[in-house]
Amino acid sequence: MPEPSSIQKSAIRKRGQVGERLATLCVWAVALLVSLVFFWILIDLFLGGVRHLSLSFLFEAPRDAGRAGGIAPILVASLEIVAVCMLVALPIGIGTAVWLAEYAGDRNRLGRLVRRSLDVLASVPSIVFGLFGSAFFCLQLGLGFSILAGGLTLACMVLPIFIRTAEEGFRAVPQAYRLGAASLGISRTSTLFRILIPSALPALSAGFVLGVGRALAETAALIFTSGYVSRMPESLLDSGRAMSVHIYDLAMNVPGGNDNAFATALVLLLLLLLINASFAWISQHHLSHGASQS
Amino acid sequence: MKRFLVLTVGLLLLSLGSWIGWKTISRAQNRRLVLTGSSTIAPLAVEIGRRFEALHPGLRVDVQTGGSSRGIADARRGIADIGMASRRLKTSEKELLVHTIARDGICMVLHAGNPVSSLSDSQIVGIYTGKIQNWKEVGGKDAAIFVLNKAEGRGTLEVFLKFFGLENPSIHADAIVGDNEQGIKTIAGNPNAIGYLSIGTAEYDQKHGVPIKLLPSHAVQASTETLAAGTFPISRPLNLVTKGVPSGIAKTFIEFCQAKDVHDLIKAHYFVPATR
Repeated sequence: MPEPSSIQKSAIRKRGQVGERLATLCVWAVALLVSLVFFWILIDLFLGGVRHLSLSFLFEAPRDAGRAGGIAPILVASLEIVAVCMLVALPIGIGTAVWLAEYAGDRNRLGRLVRRSLDVLASVPSIVFGLFGSAFFCLQLGLGFSILAGGLTLACMVLPIFIRTAEEGFRAVPQAYRLGAASLGISRTSTLFRILIPSALPALSAGFVLGVGRALAETAALIFTSGYVSRMPESLLDSGRAMSVHIYDLAMNVPGGNDNAFATALVLLLLLLLINASFAWISQHHLSHGASQS
Repeated sequence: MKRFLVLTVGLLLLSLGSWIGWKTISRAQNRRLVLTGSSTIAPLAVEIGRRFEALHPGLRVDVQTGGSSRGIADARRGIADIGMASRRLKTSEKELLVHTIARDGICMVLHAGNPVSSLSDSQIVGIYTGKIQNWKEVGGKDAAIFVLNKAEGRGTLEVFLKFFGLENPSIHADAIVGDNEQGIKTIAGNPNAIGYLSIGTAEYDQKHGVPIKLLPSHAVQASTETLAAGTFPISRPLNLVTKGVPSGIAKTFIEFCQAKDVHDLIKAHYFVPATR
């Protein structure tokens, strides 16, 4: 924290030091409390799960309703669900964000309608998406309980967050870039692919990571769409149990499943941290790389 | 640039579509049996399904949860080949065929040294709601009662609450235990404790020398025999339901679930195999 200047110091003195100190203390305490909660969860998960975590836990199939064995098929199914989700969400999301930020102005009626519906969608509880996915993808489109249906349901859920983050990213690109490109006679499409998307990449990857995080952590939307089957998925049309569904089942439904629930939760957390870190690294690396090029 | 983009996206979609199509065809080669419903039965059905798959190569048993009512609804609408329901069917659901595979029952358990040998339903309700605090009020020693309750989300808790007409927040417990084994250890180590446990586990441990006592209910002795016969009152059936008489692999699977081959799996889940 930078030292306040002498003028600020005297101002503080005038207003009464006690109240000011108290406010400072409160802000610090609240900030500490937030990280305390995070570390508490982390340490609790670590202590509960690390004893049961081993390499074989990651490569074995669950046995005895998940009380014994590992989580290999569940890990594979989770990654497939997230892959389907992001493969669908990325092109639709970037497309919509580009349209919202670059083509539809602030006063465009359709633009406002799209934004409003996205905001409503973003606050819809995930179980509603689950029931929608179950009714639409599983029954109406006949996908049944499948990884594909789960991934598509998650894509619907992740899209609103991803689009709004990406849109903000495009809006943050300075207007001078677009004017400069236009004055050089560069087409709108080339401007988009050569200038706007690279400039908005940090925001895009932030939105992507947020989306992946939400998708990986999802239980309610998946239990009725991608399902409960803990066999190794053979295709995207197979039902596959996601990690969060597995944790929920072990912790709440299977007597004696607590240990492996902890271990699975720990794997999920580590996976999320890994994804976060690698994306932070990629966008950092890309940024410095791009800067040195230009 | 634009043309190139359209072409790439088109090709990608085409390959994705054909890949899914191919997978659908290749999947059709595997015959598939879908079960949905009760989350109490689901973990057991997964294990039985795994053994069944090993005996019948090329066959897949897919188990999905969602609760007993969903299992019944799915079986009725034909979305599932077999529904799972861990309760008796209501009169409005009677058109479905019921195949009981096991029973889940609980009994009150005391320390073996406790002189009390039976408790009425109202006495049990009194103890669990805190109205009866001392063993001498129900004919025992002068000692405070140590009440054990199950953690939220346990199947035995549901059965217990439903049978005695209690709500979980109204229970005054001295300790909350998770699984059956934890409950048995607590009771075996405390002469003044009372708890309720899955009958299968309690009986197993009592026979293996753990100092606990299983209380009768409505004068029916608590044992896996009375449970299997359906005479022990605090119990529920674990049912598979089908719309009409099952045929083909559904029939084979239901018969397999009721056969002796899976009794070890049923017992491993603290249930009692149903006798036919």
